[in-house]
Amino acid sequence: MIDITAWSAVSPYGMDATSFASAIRARRPAMRWADPAGPPGTVASLVPGFDQRAVLGRKGTKGMDRVTGLAITAVSALSRAPNRDTALVLGTTGGSVRSAMNLTRASLIAQRPYDVDPATIPSVVMNCAAGHCAIWHGITGPNTTIAGGRAAGLLCLAYARRLLRAGRASTVLCGAAEEYSAERSWLTRHDTRVVGEGAAMLRLEFSHARTAHPLATLLAVGATVPEVLERAGVRADEVWAVIAGSEAERDAVAPMFDAAALDRVPLIAELAGDTGAVSAVFGIAATLAVADGLPRLAVVTATDPCGATAAAVLRVNAAQA
Amino acid sequence: MVIPPQNRVVVTGLGVLSSIGTGAAEFEAALRAGREGRAQLTAFDTTGFAHSYGCPVTGFDPARWLRNIPPDELSRAAQFAATAGRMAITDANLTENDLKHSHIAIGTTEGGGHELDQLTAATLTNGPEHLDPNLIAKTSAAALATAVARELAIPNAHTSTIATACAAGNYAIGDAFDALRDGEAEIALCGGAEAIARKTFTVFYRLGLIAPDHCRPFDVARRGILTAEGAAVLLLETFESARRRGARIYAEVLGYGLNCDAALPTAPTRDSVADCMRRALADAGVKTDEVDLIVAHGTGTPANDSTEAGAIRDVYGDSPPPVTGLKSMLGHAMGAASALGAAAAALAIAHRFVPPTINHRETDPACAIDCVPNQTRQAGPDIVQNNGFAFGGNNAIVIMGRHT
Repeated sequence: MIDITAWSAVSPYGMDATSFASAIRARRPAMRWADPAGPPGTVASLVPGFDQRAVLGRKGTKGMDRVTGLAITAVSALSRAPNRDTALVLGTTGGSVRSAMNLTRASLIAQRPYDVDPATIPSVVMNCAAGHCAIWHGITGPNTTIAGGRAAGLLCLAYARRLLRAGRASTVLCGAAEEYSAERSWLTRHDTRVVGEGAAMLRLEFSHARTAHPLATLLAVGATVPEVLERAGVRADEVWAVIAGSEAERDAVAPMFDAAALDRVPLIAELAGDTGAVSAVFGIAATLAVADGLPRLAVVTATDPCGATAAAVLRVNAAQA
Repeated sequence: MVIPPQNRVVVTGLGVLSSIGTGAAEFEAALRAGREGRAQLTAFDTTGFAHSYGCPVTGFDPARWLRNIPPDELSRAAQFAATAGRMAITDANLTENDLKHSHIAIGTTEGGGHELDQLTAATLTNGPEHLDPNLIAKTSAAALATAVARELAIPNAHTSTIATACAAGNYAIGDAFDALRDGEAEIALCGGAEAIARKTFTVFYRLGLIAPDHCRPFDVARRGILTAEGAAVLLLETFESARRRGARIYAEVLGYGLNCDAALPTAPTRDSVADCMRRALADAGVKTDEVDLIVAHGTGTPANDSTEAGAIRDVYGDSPPPVTGLKSMLGHAMGAASALGAAAAALAIAHRFVPPTINHRETDPACAIDCVPNQTRQAGPDIVQNNGFAFGGNNAIVIMGRHT
């Protein structure tokens, strides 16, 4: 069995887990701003006050993109010092789309097409954020970036589980990050009204290796709800909460579950906007926040427009007396 | 609790799209012949670059290969992935019906980066208001893995697109290896896919790492990479599954290693690369004197090749096995590169040859290894180490061996 022993969230509610947890318990929508450079009528829920150089300091942050800054901040909150058996698994949609498009734009408009700012080069690859997290925190174990769009959080969970079971790591810091940018806002305008952002991380460890009291246990992760229920040995009527990535996704699985289970944890997308790759990790964090230390079974689902689907079953554990 | 290795994992199918050949047989013939896939790049407007050679896949017609997906729904990289997946199951003598519960892992650097470049250009021309939604959908990196699942009609497949840049192909093979060994699946399709993109070329050009003429790994006069494209998808299955159906086995995947430099984003670190080799060899249960061939990352950049050769000597001592630099033929296909290396390794093991480092004139004393200069060798490597290193400090090394 694999346990979740800690979590962090850098979200449109603030840069710490507490602000996220209290807002989700209260079902409070995040602040929304008119999107200054995005499509007319779109709004954005940004991490309030987040600026990578202000938060992380000026050393080592020259040219750093926002998604990398968000990821580093979320990993920082999981504090415990890593060793060579600590892995980092980070989900993304396409890294920093802003950085990628800016570099190509610079090449297209420059007098000489190679006149691009070298400081921006590391940010154009999708694994930039994970690589920088490793540098920042000295994490020399396996370091993996999974591009899964809105399914990324659960695909990362499945990947992290394989790393642990194969003995490639004793601890996996597993999560995802997504940045707001005008470029992303334009690219998602056809299916997103509120562009969200943030980063969230889970610390995963084998059940036997834990020293802390586990917050939750991962019973199964796979592609579909029936598959993960079967793998977990859990009946649908035992499930306390279903956490879907969208209203449509929730409607699709609704016939399988008690109506009450569908509304116990609020939809992240409704409160904090489209948080892309980080949405399913926020969903897990929200479950832990709402369950509030009572033993519960939860099903998390995620789908990406490209066709990727994923689902997981978690058992939230009783809080330590 | 570490799961004991119940299931051995073998390679029974190969799907290859490259600048030097399409399909396993053509690819093997090109490797043996030391063919170079170099051409002037036409995938984007190269005006203003002093030199613009690369290694493109020419004459690719996705409609010839894809049965279940309209090609215009996919990015060029996703077309490559789906096509290589189709080729791999055909090569393995499997049909779509045999693939239930298969695991799919595809590595890439850019995903739909070529299409994202087109959106950037369209934004400059017409503003962001008129971007084509179909083109936007094609930029999805996650779609590389789901394209394989859709094309092979595998419902509810476990898919992941692994975006660890130039080491991604090896990452994907490793992920599939773990899934099979742990009993999550019996069959897996894994590898990498990449399409040439203006952005990638520009980045390497700006860093002074694009070779003006040829890619010459380990040569004293090496000047850098040639950007390339293509895909390799390996069909892996448990030995039990292969035995049951009497499948032809190219090679066995013995193990792999992953680590991260955690140092510099754009240059490899010798100690870390050596550590990754040790992790891979330990995972495979292989000693250094049992390794017959190293398929190098061998980009042909000054820094990579001396760092890599140094790390090899740190691990293997003063007489390491031959080290071949396939990018001299294939160019650097980024997220597909180490998957192409693994496909070459499987062919070398199965059909007993060592592909050469071409364009070689004089080995750099700082790269004191036998790089198999210019001539293919008739030899039967039993165990091969396949290296992959990436921006971000992501290292991944796969060990393959003759199945006995």
